[in-house]
Formats: sequence, structure tokens, C-alpha cells
Amino acid sequence: MWENALSFFDFDDANVIYVSLGTIILGAGAAVVGAFTFFRKKALIGDAIAHAILPGVCLAFILSGTKNYFLLITGAFFTGWLSIIAVDYIVKKSKIKEDTAIGLILSVFFGVGIMLLTYIQQSGNAAQTGLDSFLFGKAASMLVQDVIVFSVISIIVMIMIFLFYKELKLITYDKDFAQSVGLPVKWIEFLLSSLTVLAVVTGIQAVGVVLMAALLITPTAAAKYWSGSLSIILILAAAIGGFSGVSGAFISYIAPNMPTGPWVVMVLSAFAIISIMFAPRKGYISRLWQQLKNRRQIQDENILKAFHQIAESENSFDESKSIEKLREKRYYTIRLMKRILVRLKRNGYLKRSKEGYYLSDYGQRKAARLVKLHRLWELYLTEYLRIAPDHVHEDADTIEHLITPELEKKLEEKLGYPEVDPHNSKIPYD
Amino acid sequence: MNRQVENPIIEIHDLSVAYERKPVLWDVDLSLPEGQLIGIIGPNGAGKSTLLKAIMGLLPLNSGYIQINGKPLEEMRHKISYVPQRESVDWDFPTSVYEVVMMGRYGQLGLFKRPKKADKDIVMDSLRKVGMEEFKDRQISQLSGGQQQRVFLARALAQQADIYFMDEPFAGVDAATEKAIIKLLGEMSAQNKTVIVVHHDLQSVAKYFDWIILLNMRLVASGPINEAFTPELLQETYGGKLTLLTEISDLIQKHRFPNRE
Repeated sequence: MWENALSFFDFDDANVIYVSLGTIILGAGAAVVGAFTFFRKKALIGDAIAHAILPGVCLAFILSGTKNYFLLITGAFFTGWLSIIAVDYIVKKSKIKEDTAIGLILSVFFGVGIMLLTYIQQSGNAAQTGLDSFLFGKAASMLVQDVIVFSVISIIVMIMIFLFYKELKLITYDKDFAQSVGLPVKWIEFLLSSLTVLAVVTGIQAVGVVLMAALLITPTAAAKYWSGSLSIILILAAAIGGFSGVSGAFISYIAPNMPTGPWVVMVLSAFAIISIMFAPRKGYISRLWQQLKNRRQIQDENILKAFHQIAESENSFDESKSIEKLREKRYYTIRLMKRILVRLKRNGYLKRSKEGYYLSDYGQRKAARLVKLHRLWELYLTEYLRIAPDHVHEDADTIEHLITPELEKKLEEKLGYPEVDPHNSKIPYD
Repeated sequence: MNRQVENPIIEIHDLSVAYERKPVLWDVDLSLPEGQLIGIIGPNGAGKSTLLKAIMGLLPLNSGYIQINGKPLEEMRHKISYVPQRESVDWDFPTSVYEVVMMGRYGQLGLFKRPKKADKDIVMDSLRKVGMEEFKDRQISQLSGGQQQRVFLARALAQQADIYFMDEPFAGVDAATEKAIIKLLGEMSAQNKTVIVVHHDLQSVAKYFDWIILLNMRLVASGPINEAFTPELLQETYGGKLTLLTEISDLIQKHRFPNRE
């Protein structure tokens, strides 16, 4: 196996180079077209096309009796398109929804395909070996000539996407508007459908019928975590699709009994999972981190507020407060309380003395502001939303952490710099 | 009441439209004057957006025709500009404010052409007019409702058209956006542009528009605001649907009857 792996990277076998390049191109082409079906929320149509291609391939083989790729592709293209038309027709002329129509068409076409495939396999035609690689893909066993044919188709698909990028983007985002400016929407949709069929026909070489949908959808699903620009998403998706394609080819080269498709999908899924977890801003970890920061901010601000409230009731503004005293106001565990106090001290809000902690000047201002925001919001709720004074405290406890200086100013002006809140507590101003 | 005008900017003749066979607009005839702010008013389901879309050729017509400045729509496409309902698109689509406004130039650009310097200037100018200049690189998914509406307005401005069709531009926007829209409407009207607005809020009708179209599955009235905006006509527009008309529409859909023989 390892000798196989090494010889893959030697690239002295011309076939290896072709297959590697070919699978990169196939993967990239399918990913780029898939991005548009993804954003048009028609991701599943790719799945229908992929399954519908099988009967086309088999029919072409039965009629011609040879594995002539031109004929097979023509057959595939024909039934692929037929499935799109059939889905559209069902949605338009019946009350069946699109997902159901796709399910129907997909299984009917695939059923016919499997039936024909079984017939061919039992007919004993010597040329039929390899037709079943359409089911799961077998990139590594592609011949140079096949690779060239499929790569050329895939490259043409990508060139068309590049040329019509502007129009495809507009019909994907806002079809009505595209039509209102006089774009030939029907024609562009026809083009995109044809490109999708072609991308599926070629992509099937890498992953096979059953897993083709993954090659269309997953690269974009992963890429959109990393960018908010369609053009960059397309490039990233192409890279992910290409890399996954060649990884699959590599694996089936070193382990010839391995089917290519499932491995391509494994690599694709790894990209998707990594993106969902680790992408900046949109990723899971990043969100978790944001939540943690929010929680800490709320804890810190609650304790600062507690300092102010205690000082207010005892009129002891410059004195230290003990942890016990703070816990009477805000019941956190001692461990958590200590962590918060250390954090606040490190950030310069608190200073330490023998008896406990006291607010720095900076901390005092911050604490007063929080108390002010809390009370202003309570007042706003009672005066403008007519909420009972005994219901407003909880709301204000959340909102006080969110109010920006701009909103603060608006709030002050709207309420006219009031002296006290609905519970007659004094509102502190600087 | 249905006031016809000389040299209309838009003329609609016997227009009927159906959705999945169910008729939603019956035999609308009207003509509209140039350079006015025109409001389309009517209750929910009255066919206001349908009328707008039908004029722009976005829907198949059951009957009738539409002329813009005396010519068929196809010759006049470059003269019209469209602000769809805000909810009609996916605001999570990966693109920036600048790129959406640039879409307003696509009609003029034509296939295969990339935007030129002049197009970029027009886009920036349009963004400035709606006060969204500083948001030009912002992801559209991060905009507030009012900002989204202003982006759509900027895109329509970038089309540099003579006739503007706006579908509920005031729906769910903040006060600042409402002001910006009104200011724009005023400027457009001063430049003799025709603006046709689907509008919901009866309170502000008299304040915004010069001319109104009252609609409820059929045309109730079309005329200058002081003649058409009367309690009697409003009563006719909003006083419940014509039950018979609705029932017939349902029947046509149910029996898959042709709308025209």
C-alpha cells in the first residue's frame, strides 16, 4: 500500500497525473455549479439529476452496444434534463410540492436505471464491465482518454459560469428584478440547468450517482462559513471540491478495492465539519467564545453594580466591601465571586485592601453608569410601554448590559434626565 | 371614477391576471399621467403587487395589453426601474451593499460586460442619495430593515430610469428611512419622473401622492388625489370584497376553467 502511495506522488505514471488533474477539475466544476443550486435553494435538484442519469447511461449502452463516452454522456444528458422537466412539470401542474416531486422523480428514474443495469450485467456483453462504476465512482481506474473528455466538459462548465457570473448572481439573488431589467431569465435558467446536468455527468466519474449531491452541495456549505462574498465562496468551494476529488482518487489508487465516492464524501464532510466548528465569527467555537465573553461581561457588570448599590444604601462609597457583603447582594459561589473580583481588579475597576475590595475612580464611574442604565430602562418601560413597575426589574437587568452610549444619550433625552426611577431610587449622573 | 389622460406615460387596456388560474385582477383599464407620484391603494389581496408586476411584464397576462409612453414594454425596459418588496429576496445571500446596488446597472451593461468607471460612479452617487455610502462594504445580512429598503432604493436609482415602480417601500421601515424615501420621491417628482408606489397606510396617502389608483380585484378609481380620495370610493374599495367575484374566481380555479374562451 505504501509503495502505491509513494508512486502516486512520484507522478512518473502518466495516468496518475491525468487522473489527479482530472479529479481536481471534476470536483471543482461540480462545486462551482453546485454553489448556484445551493443559493437558489434547489440543492436537491442535483440529487434528482444524478439519479436520473443512470437510466440514460444504460439506455445509451444498450442501444449502441459499446462504451463510447460521447454516446453515454449524450444519454446521461438527455435523461438528466428529462428529470428537471419532469420535476418542474409536476410542481406546476399538481399540488405536489417540490421536495416530494424530487423524491418521486429521483426514485422512479433510479429504479429504471438499476433495472437496465441489471439487464445489461446479465446479458453477458463483454464491454459492460465498468458500467457499475457509475454507481459509486471509480476515479482511479479512469483511462487517459476518459479523463480528457470529462475534464474538457468540466472546464467548459466553469468557463460558462465565469462568463455568465453577473447574470447568474442576479437571478439567484433577485429573479423578479432580473426580469424587470430585461435579462433573459428563462434562457439563463436553462443554461444553469444544462450546466448542472453536465457537472453532474462529469462529477459522477469521481463520486458516483448516489453521492453526487454531496459533491454539489457540501463544498459551498463549508465555504460559506469563511466568506460573505459570492465570488470568494465560489473559489473556496472549487478548491474544496477539487481537493476532495483528488483525495478520493489517491485513496482508491493506494487501495484499489476502495470505492472512490465514499472517500471523496468523507473528505468533503471533514471540510464541512471543520468549517462549522472553527470558522471565525460564524463557527461554533467562535460563537461559544462570544457567549463566554458575554457571560463574563454580565457577571463583571453585576458585581460592579453590587458595589454601587451597597455603597448607596450604607452611604459608604469609598470603603472596601467584603466578599460576604457582595454575596448578599448578588449570590454567586465564593469561587466564582473570587474569579470575578480578580478579573475586575486586573482590568482596573477594583483595588484591593485588607478588608476586601473597593472601586477605583474608573470603576466607580462604570458602576454608576450601569445603575443609571438599569434605572433609566425601568423608567422607559413604565412610561412608554406602560409596564407595571414591579415587572420591569428583570428586563432591565438584561438590557443594561447591552445599551450603547448612543442609545444611552437618546434614552436620557427622551426621558428628560429624570431624577428617580419607578421605585424612587435616585438615578446617578456623572 | 376613472380619469383618462392625454399622452399617458402608462396605458393599461383591459388587463386581467390570474395566479394558477385563479383570477386576481379583472379587466383593469387606466391611463396615468407623466411626472406624478402615484399610489396604488387597496386592502390585502386586492391585487396591488400583481398590478405592478403585470405592468412590468413579470407575470403572464390573461388578457389586455400595456403601453409605456405609447410603446410596448420591451422597447421601454431601460426606462423603468423596480423596487421589489423587501421580503422577496434572501438577505442572507453572500454579497455586499455595493454589489447589490451595482445590480441596478446590469440591465444597461448587457451580457459579458464588466462595470466601468461611470457605472461605479453612478452606484456611489445612488448610495449617497439614500445615505448608505458608509455601509457600502457591509454584508447585506447585517443590515436593518430600513437599511435594506434604502439599498433597494439605491439600486433602483442606479438604473437611472424615468418610471419607478415601488412595492411597499414604507413597510416596516424606521423613521429615518421613511424620511429618506419621501425626500427622494420629492426629488424624483421635481425631475418629472413618474413614481408608482404600492401603499398600505391610508393615513399618509393624501400627504404623499398626486394621483391614486384604488384597487380591489378590479379598478375602483383612478384619478387625481382630490377627486379619487373620497370616503365613498374608499368605502367601495375597502367595504369587503365583492363576494360574488371571489366565489367565481374560486370556481374558475376549482374547475380548471379557461379565463378566456
